[in-house]
Amino acid sequence: MFIVKYIKDIFGAVKSLSIGMKRTLYYFTHHKEIITQQYPDNKDTLVLPERFKGEVVMPHNENNEHRCTGCQACELACPNGTIKVIFKNDLTPEGKKKKAIDKLVYHLELCTMCNLCIEACPSDAIKMAQTFEHSVYDRSQLTKVLNNPGSKIMEGVE
Amino acid sequence: MKGATIIFYLLATLTLVCGVLSVTTRQIFRAAIYLLFSLIGIAGLYFWMDYQFIAAVQIVVYVGGIVVLIIFSIFLTQQAGEKLPKQRIDRKIFSALAVFCAFALTMLQLYQHTFYETADEPVPATVANIGNRMLSVKEGGYALPFEVVSILLLAALIGCIVIAMRDKTMNIEQGTLNKEVEKGK
Amino acid sequence: MWSFSNIADQIHEWLSSTFNPTWTLIIEMVIAGVCVIGLFAALGLVLVIMERKVSAWIQIRLGPNRVGPKGMFQSLADTLKLLVKEGMTPNGADKFLFNLAPFIAMIVAMLLFAPIAFARDFQLWDLNIGVLYVSAVSSIMVISILMAGWSSNNKYSLMGAMRSGAQIVSYELSAGLSILAIVVFTGSLSVPDIVRSQADGWWIFKGHIPAIIAFIIFLIAVTAETNRAPFDLAEAESELTAGFHTEYSGMKFALFFLAEYMNVFIVCAIGATLFLGGWMPFHIGNWEGFNHAMDWIPSSVWFFGKTFFLIFVIMWFRWTFPRLRIDQLLNLEWKYLLPISMFNILLATLMAIMGWHF
Repeated sequence: MFIVKYIKDIFGAVKSLSIGMKRTLYYFTHHKEIITQQYPDNKDTLVLPERFKGEVVMPHNENNEHRCTGCQACELACPNGTIKVIFKNDLTPEGKKKKAIDKLVYHLELCTMCNLCIEACPSDAIKMAQTFEHSVYDRSQLTKVLNNPGSKIMEGVE
Repeated sequence: MKGATIIFYLLATLTLVCGVLSVTTRQIFRAAIYLLFSLIGIAGLYFWMDYQFIAAVQIVVYVGGIVVLIIFSIFLTQQAGEKLPKQRIDRKIFSALAVFCAFALTMLQLYQHTFYETADEPVPATVANIGNRMLSVKEGGYALPFEVVSILLLAALIGCIVIAMRDKTMNIEQGTLNKEVEKGK
Repeated sequence: MWSFSNIADQIHEWLSSTFNPTWTLIIEMVIAGVCVIGLFAALGLVLVIMERKVSAWIQIRLGPNRVGPKGMFQSLADTLKLLVKEGMTPNGADKFLFNLAPFIAMIVAMLLFAPIAFARDFQLWDLNIGVLYVSAVSSIMVISILMAGWSSNNKYSLMGAMRSGAQIVSYELSAGLSILAIVVFTGSLSVPDIVRSQADGWWIFKGHIPAIIAFIIFLIAVTAETNRAPFDLAEAESELTAGFHTEYSGMKFALFFLAEYMNVFIVCAIGATLFLGGWMPFHIGNWEGFNHAMDWIPSSVWFFGKTFFLIFVIMWFRWTFPRLRIDQLLNLEWKYLLPISMFNILLATLMAIMGWHF
């Protein structure tokens, strides 16, 4: 009936609004739950969540060795051409020529931190770092070379 | 001159100057605003005379109601922002003449009427008195005009609803008509 | 113990013994004007920082926390910024009306202070139609908004002004009817009479069901009348940038901003006066000790406490509910609030006649 529905509407509205107001009152009175990070002040104690992705890096071990075979899987996986792999010819101890990476160029300004390159990498050579203060004065500084100069591939990584 | 007299003349000047401006300005929105100030001046005169209830009603009805309606209708008209064309001189003369005649008539009536001084105590304008007088059916009561006005307002309200109500049958007819036209194509 | 009315009486006596009556009147008017302007400035600062802090805590944020201790001087810094900013008038605007509109908003807000009883026997102007005066003068507010929207020569402003006009005109009805419920109980429109009638209990307790319904409707309607969220369609920053004050900058914008907060304060003061007993302390039946302890708190503290509680409730509304669409807004008023408040006023009349209230 019309009038029953009308009254039901009113009581339903009052009830749902009061549920909302109860929630906000809870937040208002519980200051410990504040989620604001006072960023530049808490730089030392800042804890980023595990899944936060800042930029692509290539970890090296203490002998300046990385795990990148130069398979170009990351380059192919990248949706907007952020990664370029440049090759050089290396000599193996037996005197054979072997293809190896010269530079792994990474354009931070193009990267959307989508994580597809990391998932594509068969040898876990690259990973996401948690740095996020990327601002620089010159755009060219955002084009980075991920492998250290003079680095070479780790033993046993094919 | 007493302070009260000065205030009276200030209010009267405000009312009259704004009234004149509202008919002479060539921008229609400004005319509405000048009318508003003129009406506020009249409300001020009521306050000056200590008729606070009438003053408040003047503001509620004229300023809050009628001027807002006028402004709304100005908003909804096209080209309301442009200046109105200059009036022809003969029209100006005729309207000035008409205003003067009305003014003369009013003044004549006022001067011919003899105002009696009563020895009765003034009735205090309390809310209870006003309410009783509004609903009284005895002599000096306003029950009849009050009811007539409320019936008029009710009729106006119902009329508005009838005009604003969407006519469902007509829409359906138009819908079928449109379909037939489409079929014809 | 000090009280506002004692101070006012002392000033009045001193002035009357020093000057002749005309000068006394003029000086008293000047003092009242200065006090109102001072109250304006102080309330503006307090309400802005209060709104920002309340909104922050409700949204689990910190809010302003840089200027002064815990950010308490933030609104002072904002005021300073607004004072030194350039007030621009757009090309093609109706310059006269554009510059007039913020002042009308301000003057209306100032006029509304006249009948409010801030403390025991302390009032600027004891009108015998105080409540009607407030609802009458506050209807001029819409004119300043319409004027600002029109004269800005901006489509957003015009739309904001039209929305605001439709909104204020329709919500004035249910606000007026809910006020009327208390007027029916009291039998008077004068603010001191209404407060005095609550000496043995506030109307929200004495008038039970109709008073509570009227109180809720009053709160909803005044939230809409002061153009605050969830009824802030006139500003609606996501649709109309800033509605009627899009083109305003600097001090002219600040006047609109201040007038909005003053209106919030005034409607809350009226709500506190009508439903929560104005400056009347909280009394419970025959508990002599408790009642004495409550009487000991100054009446002005009671008044401002109740008013600020209502202001908090209105802020709480604002930061909880999402904005309504214009058709939902008008539906709410014409299909729900108005019929309910009409029914409520009949109920209140019946109760007043039968003497069912306490």
